[in-house]
Amino acid sequence: MIAEEPRLDPGRVTELAQSLETELARLIVGQKALVRDTVITLIAGGHMLLEGVPGLGKTVLVRSLGQALKLTFARIQFTPDLMPADIVGTNIIREERGRREFQYQAGPLFANLVLADEVNRATPKTQSALLEAMQERTVTVGTETRALPVPFLVLATQNPIELEGTYPLPEAQLDRFFFKSLVPFPSEEELLEIARRTTGRATPQLKAVADDKAILAAQEVAREVPIAEHVLAYAGKLIMATHPQRTELETVRRYVRFGASPRGLQALVLAGKVRALLEGRYNVAFDDLVAVAHPALRHRVFLRFEAEADDVTADQLIDEVVEKTDKAKAAG
Amino acid sequence: MSSLDGVVNELRWSAVRSSALSYLLHAVLAAAAWILAVVIAARFFPLEHAPRFEAIGVPIAFVAVAVAWIAVRPGSMKLMRTADVRLGLKERLSTAWERRGQDGPMDAVLRQDALEKAARTRLAAAYPVGLRPGEVWLTLAVAVAAVGLVLLPNPMDQLLAQRRDDRAAQAQAAETVAAAQKKIAAASPAAQVDPQIQKILQDARARIASAPDPRAALQNITPAEQKLLQLSDPQTPARASTAQNLANNLSATNGGRAASQALNASPSQGARAIRDLASHLQNLSPQDRAQLAQALATAAQQAKDPEMAASLQQASSALASGDVSAAATSMDALAGQLDSLQQQESNDQQIAAAINGLEAARQQLASQADRDAAGAGASAGAGGSGSAGSGAGGSGNGTGNGTGSGNGSGTGNGGGGSGGTGGQGSSGSGAGQGTGAQSTERVYVPAAPIPGQSENDPAPLAPGQDVPLTPYDQVIQAYEQVALDAADQSLIPGSERDLVRSYFSSLGEQGGGR
Repeated sequence: MIAEEPRLDPGRVTELAQSLETELARLIVGQKALVRDTVITLIAGGHMLLEGVPGLGKTVLVRSLGQALKLTFARIQFTPDLMPADIVGTNIIREERGRREFQYQAGPLFANLVLADEVNRATPKTQSALLEAMQERTVTVGTETRALPVPFLVLATQNPIELEGTYPLPEAQLDRFFFKSLVPFPSEEELLEIARRTTGRATPQLKAVADDKAILAAQEVAREVPIAEHVLAYAGKLIMATHPQRTELETVRRYVRFGASPRGLQALVLAGKVRALLEGRYNVAFDDLVAVAHPALRHRVFLRFEAEADDVTADQLIDEVVEKTDKAKAAG
Repeated sequence: MSSLDGVVNELRWSAVRSSALSYLLHAVLAAAAWILAVVIAARFFPLEHAPRFEAIGVPIAFVAVAVAWIAVRPGSMKLMRTADVRLGLKERLSTAWERRGQDGPMDAVLRQDALEKAARTRLAAAYPVGLRPGEVWLTLAVAVAAVGLVLLPNPMDQLLAQRRDDRAAQAQAAETVAAAQKKIAAASPAAQVDPQIQKILQDARARIASAPDPRAALQNITPAEQKLLQLSDPQTPARASTAQNLANNLSATNGGRAASQALNASPSQGARAIRDLASHLQNLSPQDRAQLAQALATAAQQAKDPEMAASLQQASSALASGDVSAAATSMDALAGQLDSLQQQESNDQQIAAAINGLEAARQQLASQADRDAAGAGASAGAGGSGSAGSGAGGSGNGTGNGTGSGNGSGTGNGGGGSGGTGGQGSSGSGAGQGTGAQSTERVYVPAAPIPGQSENDPAPLAPGQDVPLTPYDQVIQAYEQVALDAADQSLIPGSERDLVRSYFSSLGEQGGGR
C-alpha cells in the first residue's frame, strides 16, 4: 500500500502557526493564550467567542489577524436595531436601461474574517442570522442561497459586565462556537508595553505570513492528525464527566444543568489535533486535550442557579473534571 | 522486526526486570506472612504438623505469585502507553503502535517522530528496577516476627507431646492385647480356642486404638473383662475344690492312692485314673473297697458341686453295698465330670490370660493417663489429688474417674476390691465409682513355686505357654506371711510395718465377705 501524502507538509503547518503567532505578537501584547486559541480556531475551521471587557484588544486582534493572513476582514458592530439584512445583505431595486430589477447587495458577512462586536447586543433574530451563516457557511436571501468565502472565521465578542439591554446567546447558539476564550486584563508590565507600542509615532505594520489557500490546506492537514483510541476515549470520558446524570463528581451533579454536547467532543478532539501540530507533534496527546478543554467546553457546560449563588464557574468545574478523570482508567 | 517492535521488546524486558524483583518481594512477603500465620495459629491451636504446613505454604506462595506475575504481565499496548506517560513521550509510542499497520497521510511521519523521540530516551527508565521501601520494611517485619515466634517456645508443644505419648501408649496397649490374643491362640489347640474370647479381645483392641485419649481407652477395658468373666463357668471352683478334696481323701486309701496323685496332677489325669480304678474295682480287696467307699463318702460330703457330690455318693453307696458294677458306672460319670472340669479350667486359663493382657494394657494406659493428669496439674500450677473410688462389696472391678482435672482408675480384686490410684490434678476432687462384680469372680495370681524349686528360678516356659495360675484365696495367706516377715526383718519404721499389716488385714476382711 502506498502511503497517501498530505497536501501540506505537517511541519509547514507548524511553521505557519508559529510565524502567525510571532507576527501577531508584534502588535498584541501578552494574551498568548488568546492568540493561541485564535490560531487553533482558525486552523480548525471554527468560530470563536471572545468574552472580555472593552479595551482589551479584541478588535485589534481580529484586525491584525486579517493583516497577517492576507484575508478580507469585516467588522459588524451589533446593536439592538441591527437587522439581519444588515449583515447578510439584501436585494435592492436598481434601474438599468430603463428597466428595474432586484440586485443582491452582499452584507459584511461576505468576508474571510468577521468581527461580530458585542454580539449579545443584537436581537435574537439578527443573532440567529449570523449563527446560521456560521453553521452553514451560506447565506440565503429571498430564494437564493449564496456561499460565504472560505476560509470563513467569525470572531464574536461580548461584554460580561454590561448586561442591561443585551440578549444573551441561547445555549444552542453558543454551542456553534468552536471556542470561547476569555480575554484577561493584562498585567502591569503588559500594560506598560501596550502604552509604549501604541503611543509612539509609528504603529507596527504586520506582514502577511499566509493566504487563504495555506489556511485551507492547514485545515485539511489538521484533520489528518491521528489520535489513539485510548486518547479518544479519554476525550469521551471528559465529555461524559460534564453530564450531571452520568458523572461521579458530586460538584458536577450539584452545579451543572446540562453537560457538553457532541459538538463539544468534536471541538475537543479537533482542537487537540491542531494543538498537536502547533506543538510539532503528529499525534494527539492527553496534554493537548487538557490544554484545549477550557475554551472548548466552558460555553458548553451550562450551570444551575446554585453555581452562580456559590460563585462556581464553568472553568472550575472543568478543572475538577480534568483532575478527577483518570487517563489510564479512561483508556481502559 | 520493525523498529517499533524493537521498542516493544526493549520495554518488555525492562518491565520483566522491574516486575521480577517486585514480585519476588511479593512472594517473600506472602511466604513470610503464611509462616507467621501458621506460627500464630500453632500457639492457639494444637497443630500436629505446623512445620509441614509452613513448608507447604512457601512454595505455594511462590507459585501463586509467579502465576500472578505471568497473568498480569503487560501487553504491548500497555507497555507503550506506560512508556509514553513515564518518559513524557506525549502518546507518540502508543499512537504509532496502534497505527503500525496503517498507511495514512501522517502515519509515516508519526512513526519516524516516535522512533526519534524513543531513540533519544532511555526506554528502561520507563520500568525502573526498584522496591518500594514500605513493602521492604513490611516484609522484613513479617519475616522477623515469624522467625522470632518460631524460635520462642510454644506452649502447645507440651500438649502435642502429650498427644503423641497418648497415641503411643494406646498403640502399645493395643499391641499388648494383640500379644495376649496370639499367646492364647498359640497356647491352646485350635479347636479349643474360644472364639468369643478372641472376639472380645479384638473389639477391645480396636476400641483402645481408636479411643481419643488414654482415659477413654481405659473405659473399654472393664466392660471387656466383664464379658470375659461371663464366659467363665461359675461351678468350676466348686468342682476344683471337690476334686482336690477327693484327691486328699483318696490319698489315704490303698486303691485310690494312684488316682489321688493323678488328680493332684490334673483333672484329666485324675479322670483317667478314676476310670482305671473303676475298671479294677473287682480286683480290690473288700477292705480296700470299704476304705475306698469311705473316702468317696467323705469326699461326697465335702463336695461343693452337686453333680460330683451325687456321683461320689452313688459310687460310695454302690461300693459299700458290694455293687461293683454300679460303683464303676458312677465312677465313670465322675471321670466324665473331671474331664469337663479340665476343659473348664483350660477355658478359664484362656480367660485369665486374656484378662492379664487387658490388665497389662490397663496399666500402660493408666500410667499415661496419670502422666497426662500430672502434666495438666503441673501446668495449672496447683496440686490437688483426685482419689479414685474403690470397688465396694464382694468382688469387683472398679473404675474411678476423678472430676476436675484429676482422674484415676482402679481395679477391684477378689475378695477385697481395691480402688485405683487417683490421678494428680489441680484442685481435683476424685469421685470413684466401683462396679461390684459377681461373687463368682475369681482372680488369679501366678502359681506358687513348686516345692523344691527356688522362687527366683522358675521353670522356663515353653513357647506360647502361659504362666500357671493359682486361685487368689489359696495364696494370699502365704503372701501375707512373707510380707510381714520381710517387714519385721527390715529396718523400716514401725508405722510402715503397721501399714503392711493393716493392708493385709483389710484384704482379709474383704475376702471374708465373699
